[in-house]
Amino acid sequence: MKRVFLILLSFAFPFAMFPGDFVNRFIEKYSENERPLTNVNIGKTMLDRMTENTNDEELKNAFKELKSIRMVSSEDEEDSRYYYHKAHELVKEAFSEYEEMVSVNESNSKISVFMKRESDEQQDLILITIDNSDGFSLITVSGKIDFDSISKLSKSLKSEAGINSMGFN
Amino acid sequence: MNSDPIYRLLQKYWNCETSPKEEQQLRDYFLENDLPEELTHLKPLFTYVNEEQSAVPGSDFNARLKASIRASSRNRRYITIRVFTPMLRVAVSLLLVVGLTLSIYFVSKQYNKPIFAETYHDPNAAIKDATYALMKISDALQASEEASLQTLHYIDELEIDWISLDSLRETRTNEPNGDTVPDTDGGVIEKEFQQEDNK
Repeated sequence: MKRVFLILLSFAFPFAMFPGDFVNRFIEKYSENERPLTNVNIGKTMLDRMTENTNDEELKNAFKELKSIRMVSSEDEEDSRYYYHKAHELVKEAFSEYEEMVSVNESNSKISVFMKRESDEQQDLILITIDNSDGFSLITVSGKIDFDSISKLSKSLKSEAGINSMGFN
Repeated sequence: MNSDPIYRLLQKYWNCETSPKEEQQLRDYFLENDLPEELTHLKPLFTYVNEEQSAVPGSDFNARLKASIRASSRNRRYITIRVFTPMLRVAVSLLLVVGLTLSIYFVSKQYNKPIFAETYHDPNAAIKDATYALMKISDALQASEEASLQTLHYIDELEIDWISLDSLRETRTNEPNGDTVPDTDGGVIEKEFQQEDNK
């Protein structure tokens, strides 16, 4: 009996040890009906189709190596504060292997970026942000993250009059 | 031999009361050929022991003996393996641990893959949110860069005399047993300023 218990424990151990996907865990653990969240998931297939469909080279470079983009957001001020703290709690509790890359704490906005680098081809990024205009946003990006392209993307988008003017087919 | 004592002996035999000598008498009796008809069915029972006692090794006895010895030496080899049983146990345990670790690794990798439903079916609709997400990341990185620059500007505005601080460090390393008192009451700094005044 003791052996059976130990064998079962050893099989259950990896599932307890590896927390799974951050957004899934966050929604499972903290989402409440009284505090509605918006969730957007973009997987590898859709990212590949987006890369094929756009003529913008910066966008192509930014999307082509990514595996997923997931977003959770809330616009309500009180809910945003609640979820912002809960997201940080979850990082500390179950995702401590992520390194804190960025932490900005200003009066009108707070930003935290955590990252785990598994290999050159696989990085996982968690962005937790709250600000007065957009509320709470939790964004996870998985895959080969090209920060240079992302930075250029931001500049090109800012230089143009918004994403609607981008060269989509 | 008269039949009557034989019947008595047989009766004792069936009652398990015969002595070895009496049993020998019975066996000798049944070796005779002129047995009463009612006793002939008992002949094999009493002649069996005599026949077995007269058994001699067969012609293949030596070969069988050698084969038996070879078999026993094979057993000895098996015993040699048993000597290494603890090592085999360790090897099997290590194999199990490595196997379990690898399975855990692959299972966890599978488990860590995000499982979700795609929000969009149209890439043109998805690109708006995807771009928004990447812009948020870019903004976060830029905000961090700006915050770092602001901190540097702030430190710059403090007008710290870095050269004095550097020379202070040099003084402390060059004169470890000198008059300087590094950390009790600010004596180091006072001495440095005194030196500068003297110059």
